[in-house]
Order: sequence, then structure tokens, then C-alpha cells
Amino acid sequence: MKKRYLIIALSVFGTVFTSCNDSFVNTKPLDQLSESVVWTDPSLADAFVTELYGGLGVGGFNEQMLASLTDEASFTHPGRNITTITESRSQPADPGWINGTLSWQNMYTRIRACNLAIENLKKATAFPAATVTRLTGEAKFMRAYFYHQLVRYYGGVPIVDKSFSLADTEFLSKRNTMKECIDFIVKDCDEAATALNGLSMAAGRATRPAAMALKSRILIYAASDLYDATTAKSKSTAMAAYTNPEFVAYVDGSRADRWTKAKDAAKAVLDLPGFGSQLNLSAPAAKEDGSANYQNIALARNGGEKDLIFARYFINAKQEDGGRIGLFNGPNGYHNWAGNAPIQNFVDDYEMMDGSKFSWSNAEHSANPYANRDPRFYVSLMYDGSTWKPRTADVAAKDPLNQIQTGQYEITSGGSKVPYFGLDTRKSSVEDWNGSYTGYYFRKFLDPNPAIVDQSTWQQIPWPFFRYTEAIFNYAEACIELGQDAEARAWLNKIRFRSGMPALTESGDALRQKYRNERRIEMAFEEQRYHDARRWMIAGPTLGRKVQIMNVIGTLKAGKTVTLYKYDPTSYDYQYKVVEMDPGKENRAWADKMYFLPIHRDEMNRNKNLVQNPGY
Amino acid sequence: MKSNFYRSKLLYLLAFLLSSSWMAFGQNQTITGKVTDEKGEALIGVNIIVKETNKGTTTNADGKYSLSVPGSSSKIIYTFVSYESKEVTVGNQSIINVSLNPDAKSLSEVVVVGYGVQKKATISGSVVAVKGSDLQKSPSVNLSNSLAGRMAGVVAVNRSGEPGYDGSSIRIRGANTLNNNDALIVIDGIPNRAGGLDRINPADIETISVLKDASAAIYGARAANGVILITTKKGKSGKPELSYSFNQGFSQPTVIPKLANAAQYAGMLNDLDIYGLPTSEWAAATAAYKATGVYNGRKAPYSPTDMQQYKDGSDPWLHPDTDWYGATLKAWSPQTRHNVQMSGGSENIKYLASLGYQNQDAYYKNSATGYDQYDLRLNLDAKINENVNLSIGLMGREEQRRFPTKAAGAIFRMQMRGKPNQPAFWPNGLPGPDIENGENPVVITTNQTGYETDKQSYFQTNGQLDVKIPWVQGLKLTGTAAIDKRFRATKRWETPWTLYEKGTGFEADGKTPTLVASKRGPAEPRLTLGDENQLNVLLGAIVTYERKFGDHNVTVLAGSNRETIVGDNFNAYRRFFISPALDQLFAGGDLEKTNTGGAYERARLNYFGRAAYNFKEKYLAEFLWRYDGSDIFPEATRYGFFPGGMLGWVMSEESFIKDQLPVINFLKVRGSWGQMGNDQIATYQYLSTYGFRSYVIGNVETKTLFETKIPNNNIKWEVATNSDIGLEGSLFNDKVTFELDYFYNKRTDILWVKNASVPQSTGLTLPAQNIGEVENSGYDFTLGYRNQIGDFKYNVGLNGGYAKNKILFWDEAPGAPEWQRSTGRPMNTYVAYQYDGVFKDQAAIDANTISYKAIVNTLRPGDMKYKDWNGDGKIDPNDMVRNDFTQLPLFQGGFNIGASYKNFDLTILFQGAAGAMQYVSAGESGNIGNFLLDIYQNRWTVENPSSVHPRLANRNDQYFSGNNTYWLRSNDYIRLKNFEIGYNVPGQALSKIGLKNCRVYANGLNMFTWDALGVYDPETVNATGQYYPQSKLINVGLTATF
Repeated sequence: MKKRYLIIALSVFGTVFTSCNDSFVNTKPLDQLSESVVWTDPSLADAFVTELYGGLGVGGFNEQMLASLTDEASFTHPGRNITTITESRSQPADPGWINGTLSWQNMYTRIRACNLAIENLKKATAFPAATVTRLTGEAKFMRAYFYHQLVRYYGGVPIVDKSFSLADTEFLSKRNTMKECIDFIVKDCDEAATALNGLSMAAGRATRPAAMALKSRILIYAASDLYDATTAKSKSTAMAAYTNPEFVAYVDGSRADRWTKAKDAAKAVLDLPGFGSQLNLSAPAAKEDGSANYQNIALARNGGEKDLIFARYFINAKQEDGGRIGLFNGPNGYHNWAGNAPIQNFVDDYEMMDGSKFSWSNAEHSANPYANRDPRFYVSLMYDGSTWKPRTADVAAKDPLNQIQTGQYEITSGGSKVPYFGLDTRKSSVEDWNGSYTGYYFRKFLDPNPAIVDQSTWQQIPWPFFRYTEAIFNYAEACIELGQDAEARAWLNKIRFRSGMPALTESGDALRQKYRNERRIEMAFEEQRYHDARRWMIAGPTLGRKVQIMNVIGTLKAGKTVTLYKYDPTSYDYQYKVVEMDPGKENRAWADKMYFLPIHRDEMNRNKNLVQNPGY
Repeated sequence: MKSNFYRSKLLYLLAFLLSSSWMAFGQNQTITGKVTDEKGEALIGVNIIVKETNKGTTTNADGKYSLSVPGSSSKIIYTFVSYESKEVTVGNQSIINVSLNPDAKSLSEVVVVGYGVQKKATISGSVVAVKGSDLQKSPSVNLSNSLAGRMAGVVAVNRSGEPGYDGSSIRIRGANTLNNNDALIVIDGIPNRAGGLDRINPADIETISVLKDASAAIYGARAANGVILITTKKGKSGKPELSYSFNQGFSQPTVIPKLANAAQYAGMLNDLDIYGLPTSEWAAATAAYKATGVYNGRKAPYSPTDMQQYKDGSDPWLHPDTDWYGATLKAWSPQTRHNVQMSGGSENIKYLASLGYQNQDAYYKNSATGYDQYDLRLNLDAKINENVNLSIGLMGREEQRRFPTKAAGAIFRMQMRGKPNQPAFWPNGLPGPDIENGENPVVITTNQTGYETDKQSYFQTNGQLDVKIPWVQGLKLTGTAAIDKRFRATKRWETPWTLYEKGTGFEADGKTPTLVASKRGPAEPRLTLGDENQLNVLLGAIVTYERKFGDHNVTVLAGSNRETIVGDNFNAYRRFFISPALDQLFAGGDLEKTNTGGAYERARLNYFGRAAYNFKEKYLAEFLWRYDGSDIFPEATRYGFFPGGMLGWVMSEESFIKDQLPVINFLKVRGSWGQMGNDQIATYQYLSTYGFRSYVIGNVETKTLFETKIPNNNIKWEVATNSDIGLEGSLFNDKVTFELDYFYNKRTDILWVKNASVPQSTGLTLPAQNIGEVENSGYDFTLGYRNQIGDFKYNVGLNGGYAKNKILFWDEAPGAPEWQRSTGRPMNTYVAYQYDGVFKDQAAIDANTISYKAIVNTLRPGDMKYKDWNGDGKIDPNDMVRNDFTQLPLFQGGFNIGASYKNFDLTILFQGAAGAMQYVSAGESGNIGNFLLDIYQNRWTVENPSSVHPRLANRNDQYFSGNNTYWLRSNDYIRLKNFEIGYNVPGQALSKIGLKNCRVYANGLNMFTWDALGVYDPETVNATGQYYPQSKLINVGLTATF
């Protein structure tokens, strides 16, 4: 008996000890794939290349939009490091808010992925040739896109076109010159355009037109004032004092050549078939049609989607922040967050419908500032008295007419007049802490469908990276700078007619100014202004201005009684007062170092070969 | 399949249990007698067994017993807790009276160490232990909350009191690594069992011991952060004993933050409105707002009439004054615990069975949150024959957590944000509007938002077979198997709820506002189901050789473990349920439904051992090792060797003390050195792997792949090199005991990413590399005193531990000024501007010569001053200074008092911590939410300008709102952590109803706190108070033994 136990015990014992074969310790991850598998399977390689688009983030539909770094909007909520930039306090140790779609680290991580794809596809001889060509084309487009992000925010950056490994001995790249960077981007664009030629690509993927549009954009930048060392130095002491101008500008070559190249690249886009929306009008559209045309383009529907060349799409089946733009920006009186609120400085730049400038010193304008404005005004903005969606059930009774209320009004209560703060103010009875400071709300990309309750429903409006309209502007700009005003006017007027605005007739610098304003209005909130104000070197008097906001005061007319407020000029006298924003909230100023973002102190420390940007 | 093969081994072990038989027959004779203590007082419940039989009994209420023994050669063994046991040969006696001596020498206790037990007197490592009976004095339903202050060097910090998530984070001798600092928990010899220690029934625990130094080296690659060994109770031979205990407790938050009332809050919003004007107008606007509520056409958010009505409560409909905590929380929340325990057995087979049930309610009125637990433990020990012993342990536990669909963080966020001038309920009893997102705390704490359940089940088994090899004296083989299964099922059912908003008109009475019902929350019901399961299998074998050769005591042990873990999970979601009436998955809509799942596997193989030697229990030496292999590392570096060595010298055994210094009863110096590993890191860092994401292409969500990181083929564990030197002893007839330790731990090869030296322009997602180095040193101590004056016995004890760490290297980028560098300073510190008072008025600003341009473009009265640390005349990020303090206290200690007088006993534990700092943030104060009363009382105002406290900010929108030392507060505290007062009902009264013993008691947790922070519980790590606060508990209970 004793023996039996012992034998069993010893056998248990022995088994455990002799299991020195430790192959069972070689486990495998059950939720990931190994690298070697990915590059031997075309479907997996395709999935890898598709992920490159992930570097686009949610396009410009972040909670904090680039518009709030410009004279388009001001960001409502504190603590986002946005004023670090708008007040020109960026420093290498503390650059302020930098979105993931442009950050140094993210862009280079994505560029590495592009390089990996390009290198591995070259070796993937077993793949069908067409697959290799297409995927390589997509990867090159995305590499060009990521470099274009770096270049327009940081200037010339190190061009990394291979994938590093830990085995590399040298990690310290030098900055390439602005010219080298732009040449590199253009080359990738050209190769992508060739590779993707004739292919029918699913929405959201790179295409030949997308590559051409990117080329057009980077070349119009390349021709601009800021990118020309001589001009930049003459306009800015920080640029003049910079000892390495080649990193941020062209130090030689002919500007006229650059304008010509930009013009040709833009024209190539304009010549593409199948793009553009409502560009064949011979006279201004009627007011409502103008608004409708513009809204269709913003929402990419009813033909407006033809203006899109490259975009980031959103679907309800995958709920991403890009679908919550209504929540991020809609009025607090709708339980939304009112993040990027348009500012008065922007509102005032909308022309009157007849093409004249709006002016506060014009008594007719100032008495009724929201009447007879550019039809795009009513698409891009919400203002006091404008109509929007039905309010949510808990608020509906307070505003059955669905009007935006950004003012302080009088109402009648118990026979006497009492003050009443509008539902969409910072003293509203609804989520006042989210109210706009400026008196305006962002409207352009919000889906007006009442079934979409922005607070809780995601919308499906795409973010436009490249639009046909942008290429028109690029073409017109190059034409103006090359003295071809008539050609520029012809194309600009297509845009104006589409939106219901009269033709431009100006020439020379007057036309240039008109063009710049036209671009500002048409491309509002599309991440253009940040760059345009810089490359035209007009940032000081535009982005550097103090933020102006609107105070609307509605006073009951004599003998009128109103118990439930609504916008009603027959009962109220409205007063529109423009004031400066509380300096403790945002106190804008411009410094020339802000033309380019600083390279972060830590990255400077990691790489002794880097040279910091001017002014830091 | 290998695993099946091993499963069959378990069947063998079970077969042992079934085939074992027990015997004991012979000629009986009856013995009677009485068992007394050293003073002749009767001892009740003494275990009496006849050696090598299953016969046994216990003494009755008078200390008397009667027992039949097989014959005159029988030996009777008397055992009783805290007394030395005694063995008596029957001979021709028929009455045997026995007197037991108290087991005063705690040093003769045995202590559980890695893969064995050792006499405390001969341990040469730093090991601290606590008895299960002490832990039972704490009424917390979470065992981890009962550890603080009881063991020197063991730091436990409780971050939340939420039922189901109310555990403490435990650190042994502070933090040692930049990565995971969790200690290894070993339960009944099995490392890292699912579920950890939190939910173990305290009634089942025999002891917990903690290996703080190289004594942990036998656990190798998982021992670097220390090891906590938990041993559950086993049966004792004797008559079956049944005990039942019942506890009824009541909890409430230790601290409810004090907030401003409606009038104070409205006044502050008026102030904030004024601060939006140019500073030159502040004084006039303040006066005008107070007098008329209108300044220059600008209307104050709250008029003087509003302010009056908030104060006097004359208008409860429109001008309420709401205490949100009061509206949402009840005064006391009940918790209950029942335990039944049965134990007994013969010398050949012993059993202990324990059943527990507990439930715990949350602080909320009509709470949807709660915790229920059912647990079962069965420990069997069988002596199969002289040489073969078998132990089987079974544990089953069901943990049921329930919550509303809003997390506690969101609920308490709304408590802090809740505006006091907004109603929680309308005067007619309907719930008021939300604070945001439909969240009104009085509603979202209930089942009106749906529900969430989280059911976790554990079934854990362990078996151990010990076989002594009869022909080699002292040689033993041990086989171990443990099979642990874990299941988890989660369900989240979200439904819309209704809140009432004030409408625009009035009811018929013309005074009562109409209310509008509105649906809030999700647009339609939604359901998420989750399912997880995991199987851990451990097989082990150990050879032990333990023998005494004259004065030489030798122990040699060697063993091997193989461990595998496999698990998978599954998750599904549907929305667009047409009604909240049915909460099952199939009833959901087909649009936007999702499901996902995953799986994982882990494996380890290791070898370990111990060689201990002592000469006359005077000179002690021990060597420990483990050769550890884990699948976390590549094959080339998979195995590591971890040695530990310890030496001790029991000086009190030397004649110069024994003879010359009789006051010293015991004195030992000891030292240890060891190397251990920490492998709690991300897995598969040596593989180049691609992970999955998705992107929208062609209006379809498309799977994508990304490179997770580049591989590091040389990855290995962090290495802890820990040294300890200790002194322990007892004086004055063991009345005074003490133990002092100094330790120095150095952690090298810490896995850290070389982000500071590899430029981001490489685009590399770097793997962790073994580059970091951290040192951690400090001391811990225990002092004890015990005495007895007549019937009054008492003891006091003091313990504490201090640990401070320092980063020696972690690839920090150069370039930051010296005062901001983290290298050379403790881990997890941060940089902040140094607060230097407040600009009281414009004159102070005008007198200022330091430029603030880099942080604010215009200074205004009430703005904060910062120190120009580098003296360059301007405040910029270079003036931020790295602070030396973190949220983890440097020192934690306890002071305990125990006393008994006749049938009464009392224990008190004070516990405290020092050296932690905590940010206090007003981040969600302003028109987004309420302010702390502290901020209201101290703020700078136009009328009462302060040079100490800053102006109010709206939602932290001023430059001085954060990231400076003004908001950094000390978290030092002392609290009455635990007390218990008990009464043993006299025996005579009990025996008549068959009771052997009955004890009634009352105890409490976190009863009083003296702290420096003053606004939240000092154990918090939440800057805004938006978390479920820690509990204060009072409890009454009784234990009856049959």
C-alpha cells in the first residue's frame, strides 16, 4: 500500500520535472499578426496601406478646430492651450495646442508607415503587379500629404524616405531645405498620380485627382511671399534675422517660375473631368439658390459632392468625433458645446449682397447687420434671430420658433419688464457654461436635418481636404500674381455667381484684396485661413487682432408686452454692440515667430543636427 | 494534448482522497479532567485529541472534559490558541488535570515563507505577518482595506469606497520602478491567482505574511515588488466545531466636500461676470450689481432680489438652495455579512468548511449600486499513512456588482458641479433638470437609467501531496496542482429616463411654474453583453530535505512549477430596442449592432530552491534561488536566475548576553541580499507585430493594420537588487519587542522607452528597452509592549515604514534646466510654478518689475505671482520647478492598542501617512459648477482684496488656475483606522443552550481623521473630488460557536 502511493507520487513528480521540454512557453499573440505574414498576403498589405489614411485623423473635425487659431473663430472652453498660439506665446518647451493631424511625431510615425509600405511592396514580387502599383501609389500620395503637413506648419523638415530600425547607427537627420521638401512632395504627387491613373477608387482613398490637387496646393504655397526669402525678410525682422532662411523659404530661383508652375498645376486640376458644382452660371444665382448651392457643397450632397476631390468620410456604423461636430459647435441652448465660435472680425468680412463692403458706420448696416449679406453668410453662421433646428423637448416650450437667441432682452412678467437672457447666451437657463462668448455659432458643416439631435446623434458630413473650388482659387491667385487679371476674374466669378454674388470687376491689388476676401469667405473653417494669412504675410493685422464679439440688446418698444421671447422687430428695438473680448479670456497678439511652429525642445535635444525655426 | 495529460494527474490526486481510509480501534478507557491556564482559571474550548487517532474532544465552559482512549499507552495532546500545547501519556491515570502555559514568546511562532514555514526566531529575512483574527476586527468587506497600519513597510492606500471597487492599492516599501509596482500575491502557495486578495473572506484567513526583502527571491521574476503570502485556515482535529458570525455594518463617506450655498454661488457668478469687464470698471460694477443688479446697461446674472430669495428660501420653486450631496446620499448605508464555519477531524483527516455571504449598499438613496458575494471554502488535510499526507483546497466565489448606467465618477462629478441654485427635486417632488447630459444625481443613481451588472465567478482548487521517503530520514517529495477557473458576465442595459424642466407658463394658480417632462439619456434602449473566461493551471513538484545533525540544522528544498493561463472574451451590442420592456439581445435592432472578442495565452516554467543552515539556532544562513522562464521574453533571454542570500546571528544565544544581560530575552541581527525580477510588462515586445484598427472607406468600416512597435529582441525583466539589514529582539521577559530594518533597493534594467534620445523624425514607435535605474531606500520598524495587571491585559504597538525613491537613469532628454530634471529625483513628480502671493491691486501690478508676457498678456488685480526661479526677470516655463512629492506617501505607520479585562476586550488602531501631496483643482467650478466653500471663503474680491488668495476663475480659465504650488496641498493624516470592542458572554449562561462560546462586538473603520488637506479624504488622488468617496464604517456583530 505504502509502495503504491510512493510510485504514484514519484511518477507525478517525475512528470513535472521531466517536462523540461519548454516548448509550451512559446505562446503567440492571439490578437495581432506577425510582420512576415502581412507582407506575403495582398489583403493584409492592403489593410496596412489603408491604415495610412488613419493619419488624417478626423480631418478638421476635431473638437478644437484650426479656425479658432485664426480670425475666423474663438474657442469657448478654457484649458486647451489655444491662447498660447493666438496670443503668440508659443515656445519650443511649450508650443501650445497642436492637433494630431499635424504633430511632428504623428506625421513622422505615419511617414514611416508609408516608407515601410513602399519598401515592402517593392519586394512583394508574388503580389499581382496591379496591386503593387495601386498600393504604392496610395502610399506615395499619403507620404506627400504628411510631408505637406509638416512643411506648411514647420517649414523644411528632415526628409526621411527609408524605414529606420533599432539596428541603425545614425538616427540624426538634418533639416532639408524648403525647396528640397517641396520638390520631394511634388515628386511623390506626380508618381502617385501616374500609379493611380485610370483606377476607380472607393471614396476616401487616394486618387490621381487628389495627388494633383495636393501638388497644386503645395506649389501655390511655394510661390507665396512667406516662401520667398527675399520677400519674407523684407516684411519681417524675425525672418530677416534668421541665419538659415533656406529651411523656411526659397533662397534662389525665380518667383515667376514658381507662380507659373503653381498656375499649371492648378489648371491641370481644373481640366479634370467630372468635378465642380454649379460653375456654369452666367449671372449670380438668386439669393436662396446661392445659399443652397453653397450648403450643398459644404454638406457634400445634391451635386455639391462633385466639388470634393479628397475627403474624410464618416458613417454612423463607426462613431467617430468627426460625426460629433454638431455637439462640439452647436449652441448651448441645444445642449451643445459651442466650441469654435465665429468672431465679429470674421462676420464683418461678409460683403453685402450687392458686393459692397459691410460697415458699422453705415447706419442702415448697423441697425440691421444681418440683412442682405452674402448668401454664404446664412449657411456658415448662426446669429441672433436666425432659425435653426427644433429645440430638444425640455427646451422647446421656451422657443417654439427655433430661433437662435444670443442677446439680452426684456420680457414682461407680472406686469413689469424684467431682463431675460437668450437661450444661447452664457447666461442662458440651458448649460450656460457652454455658451458662445462671441454671439455667433458655427453652422457651415452642421447637418440641418432635424432628426439629427446634435447632442446625441452623430452626423455623416465628410471633411474636405481638397476641393475643386480650392484649385480654382489657386489658379486665380497665380493668375493675379502673374498679371492675368481677366483670367482670374473669369474663374472667381464662377464661384461668386454660384453663391449669388455679383461679378468682380477690380484689377491689380484691388483684385488681389477681393480675391483674398473671397477665398476667406468661401473656404471658411476649412483650415485655409491659418496658412493663407501666414503665406500672404498678413497675419499681424488679421490673426493678431483682438477678438471682437457681439452684444445684442433687445428693448421692448413702448406699449408692447411679450411674455415668451421671440425675435420680433415689431416688438423690440435691437441694439448691436461690438465689444472686445475679455482679455482674461483671450488677448490676441501676433509675433513673427508664429509664422512657423517651433520644433519642440525635446526633439531639438534628441537631434543636435536640427536648427530651430526663426524667432524662437 | 498536454493539458489533458496533466488533468489526468489531478484525478490521481482526487483518487487519493477517495481511497484513503481511516482506522482506530482498541480497548477503551475513559479519562476525565480539567484544563486550566497558568493561574488555574478554566480554559474553554481547548482541543484535546488522542495522538494518532481521530478521537478528540474540547473542554466545556468549566474547562472540563471527558475522553475515551484506546489504552494506557495512548498519548493525549492538548492544544489551545496562544498557549503552548502539551502531550501527556495516559498510563494508569483516569483523571488528568492539565495546566497550559501561555505562548508568550511570539518569537517561537512559525511564519509562512516562500514554499514553507520557518520559526520566526530563525528567519534571517525581513518578513512581517498579520493574523487573520486581527484582520477580522476590521469591518471592511474588502480585505485590502484591512491591511493599512498593521504591517511595517506595507503601504495601503484606499482610493475609493464604491461597492465592488473599494480596494486599496498596496505597495511594499513604496515604489521601486517606473512600471508596475504591484506585489506578487500568493494564495495557499499558488502565485498570482485570479481575483487577488481583495475578496477573500477574512474569516477564512489564518495568516498573511509579507516578504519584503531577498526572502522573496524564491519567487524569482515576479518577486521584485515584494510578495504577499496568504494562508487560509485548516481544520483542527477534535470534535466538530460550528461557528456562526453575523455582522451588520453601516457606512457613510468619510468626507463630504463642503460647497458654497445658493447665495454664495450666485454672488460668485456675479463676480465672474464683472471680471469680464475692463479692470477700471470692476469697483463701480461691483457696487452697482450689489445695489441694483444693473451696471451701465449690463445686467447682473443675479439681482439683489435673487440673492435675497436664495438666502431666505421664500421662493423654493425658482430660488432653491440645494445641497446636492444631501439630496442624493443617505445618512448611513447598510452592509451585512454572514459566515458559517465548521471544522474538526481526527488526527488522520481534518476539515474546515466555510460559507460566507455579504452584501453592501452604496451611499445613494434608492441606490442602483450594490455588491453581493457568496463564497465557499473547503480545506481538507488527510494523513494517508505515516509517510503520505494530502491536502485539498477548494474555493468558490461569486461576486455580483451592480451599478446604474452612469459611472460613479460621473455621478460624483455632478455632485460637485450641481448648482446650489438649481433644484434636485421640485417642491412637488418631481426630479429637477439635469446638470449636463441628462445627469441629475438623484435620478442617475437609481435604476431609472437602466442597469449594469458584473458577475464574476471563481472556482479555485489546489491539491498538495506530501510523501516522506522512509528510507532517507528528512526527505520529502511534494506534488502540487492548482486549477483555477474564472468566469465573468457583464450586462449593460441603458434606457432613457425622464427629467422635469421648468416650462414657460404657470399652473392654474398663477404661481406654480409648469413643468415639462423630457426624455433624457440614450435615444432608445441599448444593450451590451460581455463574457470572459480564464483557466489557470499550475503543476508543481518539490523535494525537501530537512534534518538535524547534532547542533547543525539543515534544510534543502528544490522544486519546479509550470503554469499556463488561457482566456478569451466576447462582447456584443445592440441598440434601437423598440421598447425598454425586454432587455434581451435578440430584441434589439439590427442597425449599428456590433460584436467583438479576443483571446490570450500565457505560460511559465520555473525551478526554485532553498538551502538553509543554522548552528544551534544561533548562526543562521540561507540561500534562495529561482530559475524563471516566461513567455513574455524571447527564447534567448527567456530564463533568468534570481539568487538571494541571508545571514543571521541570534546574539541572545551567546553567553555574553544570556549570562550578562538577562534583561534581553532575544536579540538577532540579520542581513539579506537578493536579486529578483519584475516581469509585469507588456507582452510580446520581442515580436514584430501588426495590430488591427479600422477606417471608413467607400462608406464601409474597413479593417486596417498598423505596426504596433518595432521589436526589441533583447528584452528581459527588470532586476531588483534588494539589501536589508535588520535587528529584532525582546526585552524584559518579552514585554517589549522590537524590530528595525533598513533597506536599500536598486532596480536596474527597467523597461523604458528611449524616447528622449531617438528623434521622433525616425518615425519609430520604440519598444521598451532595459535602460532605467531607480533606487529606493528607507526603513521600517515595529515596537511592541505587553503587560498584565491582574485581569487587565494590554499591549501597545507602533509600526511604520519610510521609503523614498530616486530615478538614477531613464533616458531623460537634456536641455531642461537642472531644477526641472527628473533624473535624481523621485518618480512620478511634476513641474509647477512656485506660488508667490497675489497681486492685491493695480498698485501691486504697477510695482511689479517681472515680465509675465510669456504666460499672460495683461496682468490684472487678483492674479497670482510666481517666483522668478532663474532670476532672468521674466516668468516663463523655465521657472517651473520639479516638486519632490507624489501622491504616494513617503511614510505610513500604525499605532495599535489592545486590552482585555475579564470578558471584555478592546483593540484600537490609529494609522497615518505623511509625505504625499495632492492637487486641489477648481477645474469644474464657475458657471459650469459649484465652488468649494474653502475657495469661496478665501477668494480675492474687489471689496476685500487678498494678497494671499487669487481671484475666482471660471472653469480654471486663468493662467494661475493650475500647475502652480498654490493648489498643491499636503496629504498628511492620522486617522482612527479601526477599533473593536468585544464582550465574551460568560460560559455558564451559554452551555445550557449548547453554545460553547459567544462573543458580541462593535467595530469601526476610518472613524476619525485629522488631516492637512481639509477638503477631501486624504487618501484621495482626485483633484476635483469627482469620485466615490472612501467609507467610514460602523459595525456590530456576534460570533457564536457550537
